[in-house]
Amino acid sequence: MRSLTRRVLLDTRYTLVGFPTTLIGFVLMVAGFSAGVGTAVVWIGVPLLAGTLMIARGFADAERGWLSDVLRRPPVRPRYKPVPQGAGRFRRLVNPLTSGQSWLDLLHGVINLPFAIIGFVLTVVFWAIPLAGLTYPLYGLVTSNIPGNTELPELLGLGDGYLVNSVFYVALGLVFTLILPFAVRGAALVRAGLGRALLTGVAELQERIDDLAEGRAAAVSAEANALRKLERDIHDGPQQRLVSLAMELSRAQRQLAKDPEAAQATLKSAISATRETLDELRALSRGIAPPILSDRGLAPALAALAGRCTVPVDLDVQTVERYQVAVENAIYFVCAETLTNVAKHSRATICTVQLTRVGNVLMLTIGDDGVGGAHVAKGHGLAGLADRLRAVDGELTVQSPDGGPTLIVAEVPCG
Amino acid sequence: MRVVVADDAVLIREGLVRLLEEFGCEVVATVGDGDALVEAIAEHKPDVSVVDVRMPPSFTDEGLRAAVEARRRVPGAPVLILSQYVEVSYADDLLADARGAVGYLLKDRVVDVDEFLEGLRRVAAGGTVFDPQVVSQLMVRRRKDDPLAQLTPREREVLGLMAEGKSNPAIGRQLVISDGAVEKHIRSIFNKLGLYAEDSDQHRRVLAVLTYLRS
Repeated sequence: MRSLTRRVLLDTRYTLVGFPTTLIGFVLMVAGFSAGVGTAVVWIGVPLLAGTLMIARGFADAERGWLSDVLRRPPVRPRYKPVPQGAGRFRRLVNPLTSGQSWLDLLHGVINLPFAIIGFVLTVVFWAIPLAGLTYPLYGLVTSNIPGNTELPELLGLGDGYLVNSVFYVALGLVFTLILPFAVRGAALVRAGLGRALLTGVAELQERIDDLAEGRAAAVSAEANALRKLERDIHDGPQQRLVSLAMELSRAQRQLAKDPEAAQATLKSAISATRETLDELRALSRGIAPPILSDRGLAPALAALAGRCTVPVDLDVQTVERYQVAVENAIYFVCAETLTNVAKHSRATICTVQLTRVGNVLMLTIGDDGVGGAHVAKGHGLAGLADRLRAVDGELTVQSPDGGPTLIVAEVPCG
Repeated sequence: MRVVVADDAVLIREGLVRLLEEFGCEVVATVGDGDALVEAIAEHKPDVSVVDVRMPPSFTDEGLRAAVEARRRVPGAPVLILSQYVEVSYADDLLADARGAVGYLLKDRVVDVDEFLEGLRRVAAGGTVFDPQVVSQLMVRRRKDDPLAQLTPREREVLGLMAEGKSNPAIGRQLVISDGAVEKHIRSIFNKLGLYAEDSDQHRRVLAVLTYLRS
């Protein structure tokens, strides 16, 4: 109830204050724009126009401030073009004219007037009727005794007299009190919708573009890092081993003629070297794209990870659906990397892994009772994970005070 | 032993054939995809089939599904699955029918020829053989109150070897303890896990353990 009251009062304030403000803005902008355009020929108009646009910007900023209240969105402000470096005085003066958003501000200041009037009128009417209706029993004592004063119930054929009037008006007031919140909300939204389209629409787009660009950069860098690491791992591991294996085999070939015993031993060690190479290759290809994940999805893949972890893992997967490849991969690699970290650095005795779907978000929560001190700072493995998650619009939260316990939460939208 | 070999990689297939023939098995058919495997098992009824998990057309768990299908058509046909990766969830599919005569090993185990052939014989004889890596995944403590936590380290070792499908003498050899000691450990394990060892049938005991570990 309190929040409803607050909402109604906010909307009311918005529509009531909005009308005079818009009117003042309208007058200033129309006058300034006309004067500016009219005198642009003799150059006086240019600074006039620029000034008008700056006024429009002021009004637009005020409107944007209210919008965030009414629409319950975080306040956003589009980026106006800054003055270029080393610009002359004239260039600095006409700078507002070069920004598209400035003209949108002006347009809004002019078009907004009818919307503001509609909102204002609606609000005043819907406040007036309940107030007048509900207080009728007080002033009705006077008005119903004025001779020749015809009241609405009488015109409707409901009879007359103080009692009938009171009942009728109070009922009317109550009905309109019930409608009031919706009417006022509607009145506010009419104007707010226009404001959002003209004043913050561009800003919202810009923000989304920023997010996407950041995500893309993160994806590109995560991929480049992964490829570099992969190349290094192949070079340091299987490649070296295969070279040494070839050498061992050619040695065995030579030994066969001279010393079959030694050849046996050499072959034996060659076989065990082969097995180690296979182990390494398996670990590497798991790191690129684990087959179990593409075959069977997250639940079995995470179970397999938990099974390979040297720290006991308490696993709880509450979703069996399949998700987009990118989402599954991101979750899997966060889990793999984190469990590796737990095994290497945390000195934990138990680790819990939980995967749940909350609405359209997959949440992977990994906790351990180790020594803590994990960070997302550059150079830690966690920074790479944060990049990986940003690439799929996800987020990584790390709580790991020194002395533990550590809690890592990865959230990925999966809608 | 009459063996069917299924693998889409020609190198591996030929290698397996040579290895098996070297050790006196008779390879009755070699196939390269799931459908052909089902047909070959139905036609030849081999003592055991050696099957690669990944085969065309899907290159996921084709071999596994074909093996399950073949065992449906030829009930209990012995199958040994080889895979580059071992994962519990694949093992689950094999254990779904509790008839035994299944094996699931990492491909690299073939390098240990003796052990590989031992496993092959055990599957052909109706036993169950699981790769130590699968078993270690099965042994993950999944709950805080898991009865597995009550086992002594030694008992955990015995349980792991049992789940791999090893016989009592083999477990004894590996841990360097007497057969009697192995028996004692197994009895204690069954008591702690609330399993009922009604008979000494090796194979049923293994299944009981695996069923417990999967639950």
